[in-house]
Amino acid sequence: MQGPLIDTLARQGVTRRTFMKYCATLASMMALPPAAGRAMAEAMAAAPAATKRPSVIWLPFQECTGCTESITRSHSPSLEGLIFDAISLDYQETLMAAAGHQAEEALHNAMKENEGKYLLVIDGSIPLGLDGAYSCIGGKSNLESLKEAAKGAAAIVAMGSCAAFGGIPKANPNPTGAVSVSDIIKDKPIINIPGCPPIPVVMTGVLAHFLTFGSLPELDSKGRPKAFYGETIHDRCYRRPFYDQGKFAKTFDDEGARNGWCLFELGCKGPVTYNACATVKWNGGTSWPVESGHGCLGCSEPDFWDAGGFYKALSMPADPLKFASTAAAVGAVAGVAISFANRGKKSAAKSAHETTTLADLEK
Amino acid sequence: MPLDAIPVVVINTSESTPLIDSGLSGNAPVLLREIAELLQRLLTSDEASAIDLRALPLTPADLDWLRQALGRGQVVATLEAEGESTLNETVCPGVWWVTHHNENGAVASEFIEVTYVPELLKAHPDDVRIGLEHLELLISDLS
Repeated sequence: MQGPLIDTLARQGVTRRTFMKYCATLASMMALPPAAGRAMAEAMAAAPAATKRPSVIWLPFQECTGCTESITRSHSPSLEGLIFDAISLDYQETLMAAAGHQAEEALHNAMKENEGKYLLVIDGSIPLGLDGAYSCIGGKSNLESLKEAAKGAAAIVAMGSCAAFGGIPKANPNPTGAVSVSDIIKDKPIINIPGCPPIPVVMTGVLAHFLTFGSLPELDSKGRPKAFYGETIHDRCYRRPFYDQGKFAKTFDDEGARNGWCLFELGCKGPVTYNACATVKWNGGTSWPVESGHGCLGCSEPDFWDAGGFYKALSMPADPLKFASTAAAVGAVAGVAISFANRGKKSAAKSAHETTTLADLEK
Repeated sequence: MPLDAIPVVVINTSESTPLIDSGLSGNAPVLLREIAELLQRLLTSDEASAIDLRALPLTPADLDWLRQALGRGQVVATLEAEGESTLNETVCPGVWWVTHHNENGAVASEFIEVTYVPELLKAHPDDVRIGLEHLELLISDLS
């Protein structure tokens, strides 16, 4: 196992064994067989030197910067950062030193120089309402920017639930007519990395996979990497044995809750949510929502915000199982309709909006 | 107090169903058969393998049970690399319990490795070469 990356790391004081340990953990997080850790270590170590690093352009649209927070505050900066040493991040508004015209120039230069080769990362949804006027950068609507940047991209990573599925901006009544990247771009490979925010290591894992195997990871029917989204939260949950034994917490402070029993009846969306929280955990492996005693919200699933209440059990009539198919289709149609008809329809939107009261939170 | 010390499952000893009250899911004992199978493979085809303990639905009590069942062998190795890693041989030679901690001391990943010597313990020829250069430098300083 040798190559430019190992040399770079050595200069930063990261030893070969540290790197191997990191790769073993990354493979474990990606639910790859333990032997894959070694393969990844070897491939990443051999990644090309600085001059040939693949270009990455990151565009923020209708978003809250939570995705960027999640990535940049990942647990081991030196090691998560090593993946970013293997790429050339040419445009990222929050992180770049340039601003204004200089920033726009950097973007256009990167797009021109790496045409057909760069990886485009998008966070945030794209508003179609009012001809895209709800969100503009440098005088251009997000829709224009996306189409322009997508043209020369080798592949697109839709980072976070907003870019992947429309997310919270798209929540009923979707006032801005927000849609996802895949609603607009049809002719490029798109990887969805949903989550609100997504787990940082998923991004690292996708890049590591790209560097290791020279291809994008295998995707599921919703365009998500199977390595991280292949199984439900429920299937990998450490409380799963209690579900199988029929042991459920009935309230957040009963004996069942204290004994760590299953949170299904308290509204946990784990059974219909595909994500890696149960194995990867959060805050450097400290804990994750279910371990902290709260059910899964299903934040990496389409339209999770409108799925009938965070504290309603999946078996209750609200039927969040329609989540994926019908709700998504209706939502997309509603989004487009708003963008066409719009203006005089504000009152209609208002009446469709359901105010959430405290009573709604209690089932 | 380290975060790991906060119990996620409160063990209630007063009730009558021992399996649930002890926090055991019953998923741990079956692993012994798998480890036996992997050891057999190591002996017959010299093939090393590993089990990712984080990938299995095991409760903290299950892990304790397994750790206790496999016991502690003669070799205890510690690796300092962005947090401590321990590579401990169990009572069964060739079966290693490998735990990687991150800088905060939380467990980042945990494996059972079935191998004569874990790969992580071996020195890489490139690193040995650097060591040799260093040694030669020391020797040249002597004269």
